[in-house]
Amino acid sequence: MKQLYKYILTVCAVALVFSCEETITIDTSTTDSRVVIEGLVTNVASGSYVKLSRSRNFYDNGQTDRITDAQVTVNTSTGEQIVFIHNPSGGTDSIGYYFPNPNFAGTVGITYTLNVEVEGETFTAAEEMQPVTTIDSLTSKIDEDEFDDPEEPGRHFAVFFFAKEPQDRADYYLFKFYRNGELLLDWPTDIYIADDEALGETIDDVEIAGYFKEGDNAKVEMYSLTRNGFIFYSDLSTLLNNDGGMFSPPPANPRTNLSNGAMGYFQVSAVDALEITVEDN
Amino acid sequence: MRKLMLMTWVLCLVGMAQAQEKFTLNGYVRDASNGEELIGVTVYVKEMQNGVITNPYGFYSLTLPKGTYHVEFSFIGMEPLEKEVNLNSDVSMNIELKEIAMDLNEVVVTGEREDEQVVNIQMSKNEIDIAQVKKLPALFGEPDIIKTVQMMPGVISAGEGTSSFFVRGGSADQNLILIDEAPVYDPSHLFGLFSVFNADVIKDSELYKGGIPSRFGGRLSSILEVRTKDGNNKEFGGEAGIGLLASSLMLEGPIKKDESSFIFSARRSYVDLFLKAANQDNIVYFYDINAKANWRANNKNRFFLAVYTGRDNFKFGDDFGFDWGNKTATFRWNHLFNDKLFSNTSLIASRFDYGLGSTTDSDGFQWDSNITEYTFKQDQSYFFNPNLSLDFGYHLTYRQFSPGIIEPEEGSIFKKTELQKEYALDHALYAGLEHKVSDRLTFQYGARLSVFQSIGEQMVYDYADVRDNRNPERTDSTFYDSFENIKTYVNVEPRFAARYILNESTSLKASYNRMVQNTHLVSSGTVPLPFNTWAPSSLYLKPQKADQFAIGYFKNLDNNNYELSVEAYYKDIQNVTDFADNARVFFNQDLITEYRQGTSEAYGAEFMLQKKKGALTGFVSYTWSKATRLVPDVNLNREFYANHDRRNNLNVVATYEYSDKWTFGGSFTYGTGRPITLPAGSYEYGDGYLPDIITERNGFRLRDFHRMDFSATLTPRKNAGKKYETSWTFSLYNAYSRKNPFSVYTRVQMDDDDNIVGDGTQKEARLIYLFPILPSVTYNISF
Repeated sequence: MKQLYKYILTVCAVALVFSCEETITIDTSTTDSRVVIEGLVTNVASGSYVKLSRSRNFYDNGQTDRITDAQVTVNTSTGEQIVFIHNPSGGTDSIGYYFPNPNFAGTVGITYTLNVEVEGETFTAAEEMQPVTTIDSLTSKIDEDEFDDPEEPGRHFAVFFFAKEPQDRADYYLFKFYRNGELLLDWPTDIYIADDEALGETIDDVEIAGYFKEGDNAKVEMYSLTRNGFIFYSDLSTLLNNDGGMFSPPPANPRTNLSNGAMGYFQVSAVDALEITVEDN
Repeated sequence: MRKLMLMTWVLCLVGMAQAQEKFTLNGYVRDASNGEELIGVTVYVKEMQNGVITNPYGFYSLTLPKGTYHVEFSFIGMEPLEKEVNLNSDVSMNIELKEIAMDLNEVVVTGEREDEQVVNIQMSKNEIDIAQVKKLPALFGEPDIIKTVQMMPGVISAGEGTSSFFVRGGSADQNLILIDEAPVYDPSHLFGLFSVFNADVIKDSELYKGGIPSRFGGRLSSILEVRTKDGNNKEFGGEAGIGLLASSLMLEGPIKKDESSFIFSARRSYVDLFLKAANQDNIVYFYDINAKANWRANNKNRFFLAVYTGRDNFKFGDDFGFDWGNKTATFRWNHLFNDKLFSNTSLIASRFDYGLGSTTDSDGFQWDSNITEYTFKQDQSYFFNPNLSLDFGYHLTYRQFSPGIIEPEEGSIFKKTELQKEYALDHALYAGLEHKVSDRLTFQYGARLSVFQSIGEQMVYDYADVRDNRNPERTDSTFYDSFENIKTYVNVEPRFAARYILNESTSLKASYNRMVQNTHLVSSGTVPLPFNTWAPSSLYLKPQKADQFAIGYFKNLDNNNYELSVEAYYKDIQNVTDFADNARVFFNQDLITEYRQGTSEAYGAEFMLQKKKGALTGFVSYTWSKATRLVPDVNLNREFYANHDRRNNLNVVATYEYSDKWTFGGSFTYGTGRPITLPAGSYEYGDGYLPDIITERNGFRLRDFHRMDFSATLTPRKNAGKKYETSWTFSLYNAYSRKNPFSVYTRVQMDDDDNIVGDGTQKEARLIYLFPILPSVTYNISF
């Protein structure tokens, strides 16, 4: 379904073909800084973290304020409690990140309940881990247009993805694409999600983001999402790609599973990943 | 006592005897040059000091006591004609009026008597003068009546480059847009840059904003009625226009002289020809075709068949394309049952559809959606006497809503998926009486009974909570057979209007109307896209209802040279339909869970000064208005300004006939900025995303909108004596190149090549604006 949404966005963009743009200064209102929670529990070891930060005023820049003194735990439906500890390695790029101690990997079918306490306020969310489909294979092919007129010299290979979509249940997916370990987005506000409402069983030849050169490593990560998770990412995508409410809906905060007015989401996903080295077949 | 009763009885008999002495004079009034029926011609009986006007089919009927009368037929731009009628039996008399010979090559102004706006009971109505529209400056030189509609008092546009308009606080889907009585569901070409109405074939057009007569229903806020020409039944003729963006051709003529006629018109844009010239493999075009045949079988029976079809097509390379279009057809039979009873039977079909498709290998699909309706209308007018007439009728509409079907291409990842169709029957019975109580006071009272049925075939689901749009839970389902009743809504819509004449140039008017709407188009943005989906009232979606009160002061100045009107209105809407925040509107199987119904309040004041005669014509309109909404699950259940709430709007339009060679036009428009939702902050999430925090819907405003346009029409003198006439129209759009806001959005700061600036943590706001100064030229030939 992602493709459909993308087409809708294209259509809206086409409506603006006659338009010009310029940067203006807006009078924005301000709101009290809000707690922002980015939580992830996956079925792979070292794949779970919780990032805590605060929102800021529209025209501020630099890193947002991090919350370093919160109490973070995850309880499982099997009665275990996993404690998340702030920045155990002490790295400067991990300030505001909490990691499970000891490390753990989640299991499909188990419900995880996040509990975050910040300065006396409690924020919670619960998600069940959904199964994920297996990526069958990745292939690479020369993209004629990029070959003729490459954005970056030599990067004229497109990578395609193959999978089987189970038809007996409702699935929601989030995709992440990497080139040589670096995350790839065709556009900075792209979010690659799909629901399976209109998908058939055979998922063949779906092109991933970006172009590659020979020898590049291409990697696809596929995350299962709950319906709530899909809705959060779908809302987030609509917000990030909003035209200001002329054709697109008026901007609105994404619907989240977090309680108590926190921004962000607590995502629980099973992950499947596959990588290839791009070569000329 | 018995004697008194006898006296009364005798008096009654005398009265009846006198009544039997009355006869009816009726007929059609037409334009002598082309046979087009004239609407609103004054038929004045000198001896009675009273009269009537011709109805929308050019028909008049007068019932008078036996005698000899002098009847005068008068109409703006036409030579008045006086006839002596010896009414000793019923008389049928068709009249042809000739145009006033003018020195200047002056346009004949639309059909109405000079003091029409003062004496007519109808208030809150604007005529869109097509002749004036053609002389006004136009975007890319394409004359467009919708752009003039948007300048009328009480009408607000969302800015420029859209065909949407908002009447007295109502949303865009609350306007019933009719071409020859058939509804047009989406009047836009190229996402609203132009409308579907080709100026070549339009005869006249009226916008009703309030005091809406009982023969109209189905939408809350306005009726825009566009009528096409019948075609010249005297001689062949035509027009051709060559513009920067589109060209058009119109042909008309008699099929059998004086009895039947046709008109055919086609228009096509050629943006894509330029694209091809620039070696881009893209297709972008639209076209319109109008055709109409008209047959007067005899004086009692008249038929016409009108069809319209238009389409927009976009295709980008081989990969992706989309299209949309309207098709309408109207068959009408006007019949004179007897001298007093005029009947009009119509069969109408209308269809709007859109498609989106991709032909790439893995995600090839075709998505189609449409709404189709068939309407039967039986309308009658009964003329009791010059002081009393009755309109009554029955309308039946069958609608099919097909929200979407996805057909995958070979090898596509998609599977065939269809959203459930919905069906509806809409019955309406109405009656409206126009009653001239005295020379000064006239009342119009009526009512419309609207019976709406949601019918099968459909599977109707029960929901645990029909407002849960995150995890809609279907708890049960009921299957309804074809035409089986699912839900019925019965509504009575009272209509009332009054006019009181203060003196021969001044009148006061008041009106109240209730309108009910059972066909909903909710657009998530400010402006509906062709890809938004119409939905009928249903088990869950209730009819929208509007009550409107309006009062007005109407005055003609300087011997009817100027028309002044001041009106105020208050409108209250129940069950106004909106989407919940974050609604997923595209291809959602549980779309019903995204609808929310609330209330809306709108009020305002309108001012209009119009000059219709002389070398200089035009109008000034000013509107002060306010529109708010309160809808559950929107803006955290707090009241907010409607998307089309714009406090002050001013429009000035003028055309000046400088000589028989040159006509100049100019327009100026000013409006308070549209409300907009802006952020109260931002935060970090995920892979470098910086989403905004939103605290209030429509809490801010775009900056003010204003624009000035000019046009000049050159009709070379050498035309004299030739069989055809040529003219050039030059337009200058946005003369001082104001950057008028279309919308404002936010993003991470980027440079002109869309590369992120710095570390990607700085956000910025971007103003989108559409047209800088734009000159254009159009060449026209009429023959």
